[in-house]
Amino acid sequence: MKIRRKIMKADVPSVAMGDIAFNLLIFFVILARASDDSHVKWQPAQGTRLESTRGTKVSVIISRENKLYLNGREIGQMQLAAEIEKYLGDLPAGERTVLLKVHNEATAMFYEPVIESISQAGGDLVHVLDEIH
Amino acid sequence: MRPRRALSKLLVEPAAVATGDIAFNLIVFFLVCASSQPDTGRRQDLPASEQTKQAEDKSKHIELALTRQSNVVTVNGEHVRMPDLPQRLRRLLAQTPRAEDKVVVVKSKPDVPYQHWITVTTLVQDAGAIITIQREEERTVTVGN
Repeated sequence: MKIRRKIMKADVPSVAMGDIAFNLLIFFVILARASDDSHVKWQPAQGTRLESTRGTKVSVIISRENKLYLNGREIGQMQLAAEIEKYLGDLPAGERTVLLKVHNEATAMFYEPVIESISQAGGDLVHVLDEIH
Repeated sequence: MRPRRALSKLLVEPAAVATGDIAFNLIVFFLVCASSQPDTGRRQDLPASEQTKQAEDKSKHIELALTRQSNVVTVNGEHVRMPDLPQRLRRLLAQTPRAEDKVVVVKSKPDVPYQHWITVTTLVQDAGAIITIQREEERTVTVGN
């Protein structure tokens, strides 16, 4: 007598597909966000009556080591104004916000030329600060 | 004896396998939400920098000199303690009736920390003045024989 082999079915559980897709989506969202300036080390200064800012295209950071970054990329002081102008392009007034994130112990010899460059590029300057509690 | 009817039991509890997935997804969701908080800051309107300077106009403006000392500033050459600064600024600005003339020229020594600069310029802004930065320029002086 011939013994029939039992056919085993090996299906991928379709229930998990949604979860996998969702996790992949989040993974890529996080990867995309990793290209911002979150890797730069700086401690904000404190201020009062602050407003929240959203949808800005340009952020400039002076780090703890007094290094200058434009949108997360290290840049020299001399190129800053031209590069900001490139990013801002022909944006209308009100949409030309430039976030300035300066380490609280940075000195005037570093932040004043940056403020001047932002002003030269026609950016609307917003100092990123921490609220005093 | 009446035969006992087999009750078809419905699965009412969630599948235990999925709980881990749900928990993980929730953690990731809140992590992403927390990391996307908007920046808070203070807008500062600076006049566009110009190479040409009008000496006669500058003489009218209030000059504020900052040093590393965070408890004192110099207003028009006079030392003023930080708590007295808002009042002093308001008094000086009241002397200029036109809003566009209410300009404060901020001169900082190269070693002035950002925190001190922000504190002072916030007070100037709150007093209703326009801030202008005047940077100390490096000059090379050649001394002849």
